[in-house]
Amino acid sequence: MAEETQKGLSEVERLYRDYGVRTRELKNQGERIIAYFCAFVPLEIIAAAGFVPLRIRGDVNEPITKGDVELETIACPYVRSSFDVALKGRYGFCDGLILPHSCDSIARTYSVWRYVLGFPYSHFVNLPHTANSSSMEFFKEEIKMFKKSLERFAKKEISDGDLARYITLYNENRKKVKALYELRKQDPPLISGSEMTKILVAGLSLPVQEANDLFDQLLEEIKKREATKKKLPRVMIVGSTVDNHDFISLVEESGASVVVDSLCIGTREFWPETQLTADPLDGIVDRYLGRINCPRTYIERKKGDTYQDDLERRFGDIGMFVRDYNVDGVVLYMYKYCDPFGFEIPARKAYVDSLNVPVLYLEDEYLSGTTGRLRTRIQAFLEMIE
Amino acid sequence: MAEGEATQERKKRKTATEAASRISSMVKAAIGGTVKAKQEGKKLAYTFICCSYDEIIRAMDIVPVWTENYAGICAVKRDVNRFLERAESLGFSRSLCTYALCGLGFDHMREELGEMPPNPPWGGQARPDVMLSSGQILCDPRNKWYQAAQQFMPDVPIYNVGLPWPLYEDDIELAEVTDYYIKYIIRELRGLVGFLEEQMGRKMDYDRLSELVALSERTWDLMWETYELRRAVPTPMDTGDAMNTMVPEAFMMGTQEAYDFYLDLNKELKEKIARKEGVVENEKYRLLWGGGLPSWFALTDFNYFNSKGAVFPVETTYRLIEPMVRLGIPDTNDPIERLAWRWFKYWTYWYDKARKRPGSEPDVERLIQYIEDYQIDGIVMHEAFSCRTWHLGLIWQLNQLKKIYRPIPILHLGRKMARETPSLILESDIVDMSSYSEPETRSKIDAFIETLESVKSHQTA
Ligand code: SF4
Ligand code: SF4
Repeated sequence: MAEETQKGLSEVERLYRDYGVRTRELKNQGERIIAYFCAFVPLEIIAAAGFVPLRIRGDVNEPITKGDVELETIACPYVRSSFDVALKGRYGFCDGLILPHSCDSIARTYSVWRYVLGFPYSHFVNLPHTANSSSMEFFKEEIKMFKKSLERFAKKEISDGDLARYITLYNENRKKVKALYELRKQDPPLISGSEMTKILVAGLSLPVQEANDLFDQLLEEIKKREATKKKLPRVMIVGSTVDNHDFISLVEESGASVVVDSLCIGTREFWPETQLTADPLDGIVDRYLGRINCPRTYIERKKGDTYQDDLERRFGDIGMFVRDYNVDGVVLYMYKYCDPFGFEIPARKAYVDSLNVPVLYLEDEYLSGTTGRLRTRIQAFLEMIE
Repeated sequence: MAEGEATQERKKRKTATEAASRISSMVKAAIGGTVKAKQEGKKLAYTFICCSYDEIIRAMDIVPVWTENYAGICAVKRDVNRFLERAESLGFSRSLCTYALCGLGFDHMREELGEMPPNPPWGGQARPDVMLSSGQILCDPRNKWYQAAQQFMPDVPIYNVGLPWPLYEDDIELAEVTDYYIKYIIRELRGLVGFLEEQMGRKMDYDRLSELVALSERTWDLMWETYELRRAVPTPMDTGDAMNTMVPEAFMMGTQEAYDFYLDLNKELKEKIARKEGVVENEKYRLLWGGGLPSWFALTDFNYFNSKGAVFPVETTYRLIEPMVRLGIPDTNDPIERLAWRWFKYWTYWYDKARKRPGSEPDVERLIQYIEDYQIDGIVMHEAFSCRTWHLGLIWQLNQLKKIYRPIPILHLGRKMARETPSLILESDIVDMSSYSEPETRSKIDAFIETLESVKSHQTA
């Protein structure tokens, strides 16, 4: 019985611990795998071309021992770690690599990734920084070029029908994630923050249909759980990419429930869906450039807006989550050398202050050793909000 | 504190050319000019270098305030700490671009005081009427800095110009993407004109814009021709001076003054060449400054190289020009279109060359070209920790250079020797002096010179 109720979660554990295990199996069965970085690569197109996408992760428990020979230490530590483990062969079985123009740390290292790792295929998706009408028009052409490039490599045309099918599948995937997040609204939440991170990471290492099946199973299992934990301060984490559970676990071990986030891997990428438009690429363009709320995409201040209106437009999702998930405190968590987020910290702080919610800002290095040093500050913060 | 730091300011760096020595007073006048212009009620725009909108700003009679330049000046004056610390106290990480941190710290102080912070370097950075960001593929801070500044200048509007270029790909020909890039850049630049017209309440004078664009194009050509004179042995001017002579190119494009400056420099270099007058008397090593912004507070390191007989006839940093005829811009009389084409063609200039050498890349190809054209013995790069834009990928470029660049091997004393290009990577920052140690830097330079020496002696043995 216990085993039955844990099946989904133990699968998550397996997929999380041995990251990429399922894609390696699929590779052995003749599937082709495309490694990609960050939330801005349109997965619908990769899948429609017949590839299995695999998100590149770093490893906070693996010291950087090889990457520095090829890559400067001033890249953000998440990119450095990812590159280091890639160089050690973790993604060596993949057939291709796709990097998007998220930020300097990714864009300026494209050549390094491409040449040093020597994947048979590589591509850079050049997302513009602004999202006005001319940027949308440009991005549509860029996405068409990406599709063409992938078709050449796949030696197959990507049909609108295939695109529509994967848009639907990925939207289902996003809806299931939202359903899982729903289970965190109650107090105490049914799923912990660290479990959620593992679930999302596991999902990103599977073909979308398999991820959807796994999420269904998890929903069933977790709904049956009984909330036994005592009530703890409800914390939201806001930051760039958190693809390891270690930091979230640290916050939870310090005496909090992490109930929601504005993160990759988290709500930032799972909340926006792709609209199914007559030309499927239009929906894709709209989602990736217009709906993923990441500081790398510049949100224009509308005419007549006050500065507070502007903050609401940029960070309104934080406010929404704070209300919907009954958040007691917000942790702004950023990596050293991350310019896109770094320049927003004071404005984000001011926004959270305006919600009358306590906020703690932490800078980290994407390494579990350094993360541990944050414990005392987290504890002090939690004591304050309790 | 400012006073203490100001006393640390170095003696003026010795320049090789008379032209370079004039630059500091030109910059001082320009910065003073912005403060004065503000007092006279002129409109000011915060701007970034290398954003293809210089001529547009000038044609609209707007005074550009180059915020990166001002941070650099604070660094040269060794008066940055109070601004960096202010930025840090606001919650900005010290690991971010220190130009931006210095600027944000300065602006915050100025806004809080309602006047310039006490003893601001060269009169201070004047409050802008508009801020022009730049969403390039080049630099995140240019996309985010002014937005951050709006927190304490909420009334100053921003226009963010999208200016991408395609990255080099094996499977994609430039011709496949050119049209949509050009179309986008044109639309973005027209959007900028529209924004400025609205803010300034006046129309763009397109004839004037055309004149300024044509003037810049002539300036590009003249600067290129002038810099090519540095191929001479001994070289009449090196990178130490180029860190000054970049000023007209970076901050004064579209002005007659910039053109005239290169005219003077051109003349001066030709005279020096005729007299066989080099940067150093006995030129021993010719080095390529292969990447990285300099430590503005330690430009005398260039003199230190010179004292060892090492000169830099060429650098990739700030040499953001190619001759117009080689860029191959299609015929058009529309100045906005010309600006767009110049931008696109410049950034993709080395692509065709790279395609011809397996494993090459535009940036690596450029290094190879300079090594050959300028008879280079070694490469020096600087790794500034706070700027990812110009400093990521340098190590890889050097590694790749070693892998793919094989000049005809020379048979030498019975041994086959590929020419090794020794390289040195210096590490510190553009602005943040805490990252810099003069003795350490100099001992690295000494060791490098020894390497050069031993390579030379092998070659001649
Ligand atoms: S953490 Fe920041 S710098 Fe690193 S990849 Fe993400 S956005 Fe870029
Ligand atoms: S990151 Fe580099 S290029 Fe960008 S503003 Fe800073 S110094 Fe300039």
